[in-house]
Parts: sequence; C-alpha cells; structure tokens
Amino acid sequence: MSALYERAQRMRSTLWALILPPTIWAAHFLFCYVFAALYCAKAGTFAPLGVVRAAIALATAAALGVVLAAGFVAWAKSRIPGDPPPHDESTDEDRVRFLATATLLLAALSFVAIVFTAIPALMFEDCR
Amino acid sequence: MTASLARKIVPGTNFREKRAWHEFLRKVCLARIFVPMLVGGCGHVQSTFTTFGYEAERFRVLALWMFVGAALITAAVLALAAYAVRRDEGIDHRRGMRLVLWLGGIGPTLLLTALLLASLPQMRPLAAPAGTLTIAVDGEQFWWRVVYERADGEPVETANEIRVPVGRTAKFALDSPDVIHSFWIPGLAGKVDMIPGRTNELVALATAPGRFRGACAEFCGPSHALMAFDVVAMEPDAFDAWLGELARPAADVDGRGRALFDEYGCAGCHVIRGHFAGTPIGPDLTHYASRATLAAGTLPMSVDATSRFIRAPRDVKPGSRMPSFRNMPGDDADAIAAYLLELD
Amino acid sequence: MRAERSPDQDDPHVRAAQEARLREVWAPPRGFFLRWTDVNNTAVGVWYTLTAIAMLLFAGCLALVIRAQLAFPGSELVSASTFNQLFTLHGSVMMFLFAVPIFEAVSILLLPQLLGARDLPFPRLSAFGYWSFVVGSVFVAGSIFFDAAPDGGWFMYPPLTTEPTRTGIGADIWMLGLSFIEVAAIAAAIELIVGVLKCRPPGMRLNLMPLYAWYVLVVAVMILFAFPPLIAGDVLFELERLLDWPFFDASRGGDPLLWQHLFWIFGHPEVYIIFLPSVALFAMIVPTFARRHLLGYPWIVLAAVGTGFLSFGLWVHHMFTTGLPSISLAFFSAASEAVVIPTGVQIFVFIATLWAGRVIWSTPLLFGAGALAIFVVGGLTGVMVAIAPFDWQAHDTYFIVAHLHYVLIGGAVLPLFAGLYYYWPMVTGKKLSDRLGRLAFWMIFVGFNVAFFPMHIAGLAGMPRRVFTYPEGIGLDLLNLLSSVGAFVLAAGIAVVLVDLMLSPRRARCARNPWNAGTLEWLARPEESWGVRSVPLVESRYPLWDQPGFVARHDEGRFFLPDAEEGKRELMISSVLDAKPLQVGRIGGPTATPLLAALTLGGVFILTTFHLWLAAAVSGVLALGVILWWLWTGTSIVPEKETKHAGHGVVLPLYSSGPVSPGWWAMFITMTADATAFASLVFGYFFYFTVHAEFPPAAAPGLTGPGVFWPMAALGLFVLGWAATVGAREANARARVGAARALLTLAAAATFAGGLAGLAGPWSSGLAPTAHVYPAIVWVLAIWMAAHAAIGVIMQLYVLARSAAGRLTPVYDGDARNVALYMHFVAISAAVTFAVIAFFPELAA
Repeated sequence: MSALYERAQRMRSTLWALILPPTIWAAHFLFCYVFAALYCAKAGTFAPLGVVRAAIALATAAALGVVLAAGFVAWAKSRIPGDPPPHDESTDEDRVRFLATATLLLAALSFVAIVFTAIPALMFEDCR
Repeated sequence: MTASLARKIVPGTNFREKRAWHEFLRKVCLARIFVPMLVGGCGHVQSTFTTFGYEAERFRVLALWMFVGAALITAAVLALAAYAVRRDEGIDHRRGMRLVLWLGGIGPTLLLTALLLASLPQMRPLAAPAGTLTIAVDGEQFWWRVVYERADGEPVETANEIRVPVGRTAKFALDSPDVIHSFWIPGLAGKVDMIPGRTNELVALATAPGRFRGACAEFCGPSHALMAFDVVAMEPDAFDAWLGELARPAADVDGRGRALFDEYGCAGCHVIRGHFAGTPIGPDLTHYASRATLAAGTLPMSVDATSRFIRAPRDVKPGSRMPSFRNMPGDDADAIAAYLLELD
Repeated sequence: MRAERSPDQDDPHVRAAQEARLREVWAPPRGFFLRWTDVNNTAVGVWYTLTAIAMLLFAGCLALVIRAQLAFPGSELVSASTFNQLFTLHGSVMMFLFAVPIFEAVSILLLPQLLGARDLPFPRLSAFGYWSFVVGSVFVAGSIFFDAAPDGGWFMYPPLTTEPTRTGIGADIWMLGLSFIEVAAIAAAIELIVGVLKCRPPGMRLNLMPLYAWYVLVVAVMILFAFPPLIAGDVLFELERLLDWPFFDASRGGDPLLWQHLFWIFGHPEVYIIFLPSVALFAMIVPTFARRHLLGYPWIVLAAVGTGFLSFGLWVHHMFTTGLPSISLAFFSAASEAVVIPTGVQIFVFIATLWAGRVIWSTPLLFGAGALAIFVVGGLTGVMVAIAPFDWQAHDTYFIVAHLHYVLIGGAVLPLFAGLYYYWPMVTGKKLSDRLGRLAFWMIFVGFNVAFFPMHIAGLAGMPRRVFTYPEGIGLDLLNLLSSVGAFVLAAGIAVVLVDLMLSPRRARCARNPWNAGTLEWLARPEESWGVRSVPLVESRYPLWDQPGFVARHDEGRFFLPDAEEGKRELMISSVLDAKPLQVGRIGGPTATPLLAALTLGGVFILTTFHLWLAAAVSGVLALGVILWWLWTGTSIVPEKETKHAGHGVVLPLYSSGPVSPGWWAMFITMTADATAFASLVFGYFFYFTVHAEFPPAAAPGLTGPGVFWPMAALGLFVLGWAATVGAREANARARVGAARALLTLAAAATFAGGLAGLAGPWSSGLAPTAHVYPAIVWVLAIWMAAHAAIGVIMQLYVLARSAAGRLTPVYDGDARNVALYMHFVAISAAVTFAVIAFFPELAA
C-alpha cells in the first residue's frame, strides 16, 4: 500500500489529470443514458429494464473504480511533504499539491455524481 | 366509496383526511357555480393548489415540503452570511475549509441524495390496466379535439371540454397534427406535451368532483394564451350517463339557423352528428350548447358570443384557422348561433 | 550586434525612452474612421461592453412593454402578434446579444490586465468577434421595428417555427442573426483558452492564477462543446426553412424532438456560460473587501470545473414533459441535483472568506451581496424544478420565469453591476458615486423581488408562459399587477445606474487602485494603452499585497519586456503549468481587416435571410478574400531575427510552430468546436434511427442510398489528401521543399476529388432530400464533408503559395503544421461520415 502511495506521489500531475474524474462521470452518464434510451426506443414502452440495470451496474462499478483510483493518486500527491495549505507559494511542489487537491475534490464530486446517475436504475421497472 | 376505490388503485393513501378540507373548499366553490361564470370564474379553477386528482395532490405535498425547506435554507444562509460579515477575522483557514466542506459539500450531498430517493419514485406513472377509460386528445391551433373511446360502441368526439369520472383511472392519449402543444390540467396532474409524430400518454385519477380548467402550456402560435378547456370531474354514474348522452346524435332542431349552417358551408369543417355528416376539420358541434365556454375557453357560452365569433373568429382568436365571415349579416349569424345554442 | 544584457532601468532617461517607444507602438489610431480599426483590448473591450449594455437596455424596454400589457387581464395595449415578438426578442436579445457578449466583453477588457499581459493573443480575432456581434445585434434587434422580429419564443421550437407559410421572416432573422453570435463566441473561446494557458506572466503558475482566469478558462472550453450543437441545429433548421428538408417534420420522418435535444445540449451549458464569468467577478471582489486572500482557492477550481462538466448532463430537464421514458428523465434529474453541489460550494467559500476577513462595505460588495441572496433563492427553486414530478406542474409556467430570472439576475446581472462599480476606476480612473450606487441597488433589489417573486405563485396558480393575456378572476390578477409595478421600479433602479455612468466624466480622478486590491489588474493606468509597463514576475496570488515594492518595480520597467525596441507589439508566451517564459509573441496592430471580414461574412448571412442568393455568394467570395488577405499579411510572419532579449538575461525565440505555438492552439480549438458540430450531425442521424422502427426506410426510389462505392472512394481520396498534407509538412521540415510543394498539389487534388466523390454517393443513388429525413441527413453529412474539403483545398493551396513566396520555410513552418492539424480532423470526420452512411444501412437491415 505504501509502495503504491509513493508511486502515486511521483506521478506527473497535469491539467489532463485534473479533468479525468469528471470525464469519467461524463462517459458513465452518456453510457447510461444512451443505453437506456436506445433500449427503450427499440424494445417498447413496457419492456422490462433488467438488461439496462445490469449494464448500468457494471458501468457504475467500473467508473467508480477509476474515480477512486484517480482520487487516491490525487490524495497522495496532495500530501507531498511541504508547507500546509493554502498551497499558494510559487514553487513546483505547491503547484503539484494544489492541482492534486483540486483533482481530489473533483474526484469526490465525480464519485457522488456517478452514484446519483446510478440511482434511477434502482427506481424503474420498465420504459414508461 | 370513492376513497376506498382510490385506495385499491393506490394502496396506502388515506384520502379521507385530505378530503375533509377539500370538501370545505369544494362547497365554497360549488356555491358559485350557479352564478353566471365569467371565463375561468369560480375562483382558482386552474391552480395546482386546487387539487382534484391523485398526482396533483402528491405534487402539493412535495411542493410544500420543498418550499418550507427552501425558506429555511435561505434564511439560514443569509443569516450566516450576515453574521460572517460582521465578525472580523472570526475564523482561520482550517475552520473555514471545514465550513466549506460541511456546508458546501457534505451537507448538500446528503440533502440532495435524500431528496432524490424520496422523489424519484413519484415518477412512476399510475397503472392503466386493460379497460381503462381512454380519452384521445389532439391539440390543434387553437382548440382541443377530444375523443372518448368506449368499450361498448363507437368512439365519441367532442371538443374543448373534458369530463372524467371520479375514482376511475383515465388514460389520455395526446397528439397533435400541427405544432407542439401541451396538455395541462393543473388540479389533476402534471402536463404532458402533444408532439406531432408521437402519441404521449397521461394516466390520471380524479379524486373529487367539480368544475375546473385546463390550458395549453406550450407556446403554439398567436392564440396560445386563448387555448384553454373546461374540465368537469363527475361521480361515476353521472359520468356514464353523460357519456351516453354525448354519444347520441344532436337534438332534433330545425329552422332557419340550421339551413343557414348548411348554406354558409359550415359543414365543410364542422360535424353535427345527425344533422350534418361534415368533415371533421374543425371542432365537433354536436352538443355545442352543453359546454360552458366557446372558442376553447375564451368566451362564455352565449348566443351573442357565438354570433360574434362566427363573423370574426380572428378578432377573438388571432391566428385562428377558421375563416372570417365578415360579410355575413348580423341576423344570419344570430340565427346560426341560436341554432347551435339549442344543441345541448 | 547589441549585447544581451538588461538595459539600465535605474536611468530615468532610459526609462523615458522606453515609455515613449511603448506608447508609440501601442498608440490607438486616430481619426473619424480610422479609430474603428483599433484592435487593442482596451478599446475593443470598451466598445463591446457598451454595445452589450445597450442590448440589455433594449431588451429591458421590451420587457417593460410586456409587463405593461400583463398588468391587467384582457389588456389590449399590444396585439398578440406584437406581444409574441416582444417576448421572443426579449429572451433572444438578453441571452444571445447581452448575456454571452457581456462576458466576452469583460474578459477582453479584464483578462490581459489580470494576467499582466499587454493584450490578448489574437487581438484582431477579438475585434472580428466584436464587429460580428454588432452586425448581428443590429440585424436581430432592429427587426422589431419592421414588424419582422422572430415570434416563436427564444428557443424557437419547430414545427411552429419551421413552416415558412405560417411564420414570417422572423425565424430566419433569428437563425442567421444568431450565427454571428456563435462565431463571436468561438472566437472568444480561442482567445480565452490561449490567453489563460499560454500568456501568463512568468511565475504565475496554475496555483497562483487569478480565479477569474480559472472561471473563464472553464467557460471557454464549455463554449467549444456547447455552441456547436446549436450550430448543427441551426444548419438543419435553416435547410428545412429554405429548402424544405424535413428534419423536424413528422409526416416525412423528421422529429421535432431533435431540435429540442440539440438546442438544450447548448442551452443548458449556456446558462452556466453566462453565470460562471459573473460569479468570477465576485471572486475578485470579495477578497478586496474582506481584505484577505480568498479562503478555499481549490474549492473554487472544483466549483468551476465541476459545474462546467456537470452542466452538460442536464439538458433533458428542459424536456421533462415530452413523454420520454421515466428512467431517461431520472438520469437528468439526478445530474441536475448533482450540479447544485459545486454551485453551492462557491457561496460558502465567499462566506468563509468574509468571515475570516475584516469586511469593509462598498457599493460593489453591496451589489454582490444582493446578487448572492437572490441567487440562493433561484438556486433553490432550481433544486425544485430538477425534480421531474415538480417540474411536470411548473414547466412552461411563470414559476420557471421566476426561477430563471432569479438565477440570471442574481447570478449574472447583479454581479455585473458589482463588477461595473468595482472596475470602473480601472478603466476610467474615476469612481462611480457610492450614493447613487446604493440608491440604485435598493431600487433594483426591491423592484426585482416585487416583480419576480409573485411569479412563482402565479405559475403554480395556473399561468402558463408566453401568454399575451390571462383570464380575469382565476387568481392571477393581483400577482400580475404586483409584478408589473415591481418591473418598473427595477427599471428605475437601472436608470439610476445609467445616470451615474453618464455623470462620470464630470467627476474627479481617483487614486490608482482605489480599493487597495491585491491583484495585477490594478497596475493599469487608464491613460496608457500599453496594459502593463513591464510584464511582472509573479510570486503570489495577490502580488500587490504580498510582493514588496511590486508596483514601483513594475512602473520602473524592472520586470520583463519593458521596451518596444523593434517597434512591434509584444506579449510574453509562457508554459501551461508553471508559466516559464517560452517565446516573445508578436501580435497585430490596428487594421481594417476584422471589420471588413465581419461585414462581408455578415453579408452572407443577411443576404441569405432575404433569399438574395447571388448577392450572398458574392459577399462570400469577398469574405474569403478578406480573410485570406488577413492571414497572408498578419499571421505566421517570419521575424527579422531569431531571438530577443526579454529582460533579466532571458533570451526567447520570436517564433514558434507546432503544438507550442498559439496559432496551432487556435486551430486545435477551432477544430474541436468543428468536431463537436459534426458529432451533433452524426447524433442526428442516429437519433432518427432510434425514433423509427425502420431506419433507413424501406427501399424506395429517392429513399435508398448512398451505396458503398462512392463513400469508400471518397474516404480513400480524403485519406490520400490527408497523407499528402502530412507528408508535405514533413518534407518541408526536412528542407525537401520541391517534394513538399508537389505533395501539397497532390493533396489539393485528392481532397477536391474526395469532396466531389462524397457528393456523388447521394447524387448517383438519387437520394431525394425533400422526400424523407433519411436522404436529407445523408445529404447534410456529404455536404459537410464537401465544405470541409473545399476549405482544406484552399488551405493547402494557401500553404503552397506561402512556400512559393518565401513566407514559409523549413524552419518557419507554422502554416504547414496548422493545415496538417486541420486535415487530421477532416480525415477523422471523413472516416466517420463515410463509414456510417455506407455501412449503417447494411447493419440496420
């Protein structure tokens, strides 16, 4: 675990890493919506949603997994030794810590948003 | 009887308590039915708070909870802000971050999760088993074509007025041949759009009798504001009797008005079953006089209003599809109107 | 050859000479006509702001007429037809000609100052955006004076708006007039992304960037993904109106819901595009009046980025009543609730900052506080309507009108007024009146609440939207009267602000940085056009507070680029993450090309509206000529020397090409927007598949095609054209200039043939676009590729010409790299288009 932690701390931090968690949310959201919409459009109003719920469950697990991993890396990077928050010094470490903190927050938000997206899958039995 | 029936359809809901003060409101309203109605009179007949339907009642409860919650949250946030402004250096960085985390992050997350879990189930539509009363409504510019499907007989067409039986589920099949309209009876249920190319369904359950009003709720052209309809919720026996009456052909009326109706070519667009086979381009006029309003809720039903409308429909309803008969002499228009007002 | 050493900034004569040269280079053009050729952000930003405010006032007056009409039931103040034009134009002008342009305007004015830069990276592009906006505004706003305004509501739902016999020319004016705004928005997006990421002062790492910059970066990226679906929708809409191609006509396979999807995929992010930059102003104002750093900087970044992303998952909440399956609606309900979290976080960051600081009251803070109070209410009603069963009652009623005005006026307009009072001294050197400001605020605040709060009740009491009147006696009378009275009080408050602005010239100058703020924009001197005296070295989020002697050092030119020795306008280009100096960028001075380009391109849209096809085509040719002239004379200029000394021993190149250069970024950003529009059209194709049991329709004459041969031939030719372009870039870089030119010629021929082959598919199989939506959408995709092929050919020939003229060399090869980048995108779209139209019919069968 701590080996992973140290490796995470050494990873490059970029703006792309910052937007990875919300991008995963977007991909998950798009998948859930498109899959359900296509299925309901082709299978009819009273079609049961079993297949859709299974697909959404899998997609949700995968998405949450990636977001958790990204969040872990961000958390590790935000704790690179150095001065405490706010990370407003003009140093490489503070820039890394800041980006990591922001990424961690986005990962938390994306986690919540992915769970919110999955909740409807629990609520409906058919395509009405 | 209604309450127990309703409870069978929607288990677990106790209508009796709510109905007690519904009854009070209803009585106040009923007393005013016999006063000649201005269009939309009898108080708040088009309000989501004057509920007579299952979905509308659920909405009202949801709305009340949310309004109270919103008021409390607004007051709390503003109070906090006011306090924060007055305190000089009242918190440090760490406390500040905790404030943001809990009040801005965790708190709203928990509240919103609860809200979603509580409200999403309300999106499940009512069940409409086979044999449910089906009413096909077409929104047209700027009136409503209403067709009641009957299990035992031909469908019955009328226009601009909808009646539903209390305690029995009704399924509305909503469509439009021209532009997007929206079917909204605030006291009964939420609105559903009428979109050319698809038929949308609304399953509703009236829970109390009375006279109400619905309106078009999607901008559909110049007279969108003048596209409403009367809604009457009736006890089931009264409803069955009324539907039977509606299915009958028009009253046996003859005279100058009827002849003029033919002469001016009105049958080219209007059907009066038993008198004129007609082409159903415009509203069905078979039982015209049984309605409370004309021109889709725009004017109260009367000979004068009818006569006025016949001669200059676009003055009453800009953009109306009905051609104007400006050159029709007043007497002729009055005669036709008198004839129509006998078709109850 | 001069030694690469810093000049002696201690010597006042040296400094004075530097200032004289800077002033000369940055001097605005003078003269009755020539003054409009200015491209400096200080000028363009002011014009843009004033024009946008004029649009606010115009739309506001329309609203007053609306409220006058609705004050009493059955009123006949205006006819139904006039009323419908009034509310359509009020909404359209506010959303398209005020709310988005004002953010662009403020950014143009403010961002360079915030970043210690002299200007934005593409000043002529901003000027072009502005002039496009002016042409579009006059065209759209002026239509009401000819009784030809659009009248279908600001989102113009078909089929009501697509049948030319039922609607007047208003719908075309809306559609084509708004094309300008879309162009201006994409231009703004390019400026802001490149500006924020590449034009920061040395030392301003990402964690030191002003929060306004974070916000507008997010918004600029949002524009790239939000506006193009509207552009795609506009294309389909206009084709239906002009050529009767049935995209939204259900009787021929079309579907009105496609417009709703495309419009709201734009429309929902759009409101956050409006809201975020305004809140950004507040993020700059709060620390100044709390007299401390903002508490929770990463939380604001979370809020901006999180809101930006989540806002794209909300659009169907505008379609809750269209009969889509409940599970689909529920996804959007969930996302609409999720977006509340990042939105609310900001509010608590501001509260925490005020709590941790020592607050001093001022008119900007007052406007900001009022804004937040109103926005909280609006946000909470948003939480309500995000719940579908609630929305099923509230949708399309005055409840929504109340909600949207609470969030827009609370979240966008009032913060703008706060920003106006705050930044007026930065731009003019004078403060506005605190007394008038407070009076205006209270009139606006009270008037607003009296006007709009009753609308919540009126909506739920049964008043639908967009009604020119309402029946008496059903509970709406008093509510509407109150709203109308409140509206006039609100208007009076705004009038007080106007009076305050107009009295400004008479007031005395105030001190520089009168609010004692800590961020870079307060280095500005209104009397100078140069932006900053020298590009500062930044070591803090609030340099004016934290870095000792900062202002003096800046004023004495002791930082970077304190001079304009070669007589050119120069910017510091720096790296994305840490703002390490990379290049000295040269930018353009006053020129008429942006104005001419806007007029000629505008001519294309305007003349098309009136069906004057030949004149429109001529205007198009002229526009192309102006744009090519602009590119030829003003871009990828080979510098007179390779490097330049930027100060403190830092020597930087004067030219860059490829992925580090701003020009390449501009192409990438534009093509991202283009790709999104393309994706929207492809989405349309598959959308029709979902709504039809059989799509493509059963085989019949005019409905079957385009076959496999021609699309594959086209794809092959496009790929050849792409490969040849990339090959030419590589050959040129390896100094094999002859080979490069030959490859460019081959590329142009192949791309041209590819475009034609793409059209040959639908043409030879006889697809009839007016018969059914399937042929129409296939034709649209083929035409899209052909149009991109044509642009590609022009670009390839342009590079060829540049090479022949010696303006493109193996080292200075920016044009070749940018065109290769363009062709990457074209190749991908070609692959998708031709694979889909060739093989999907086989798959679906």
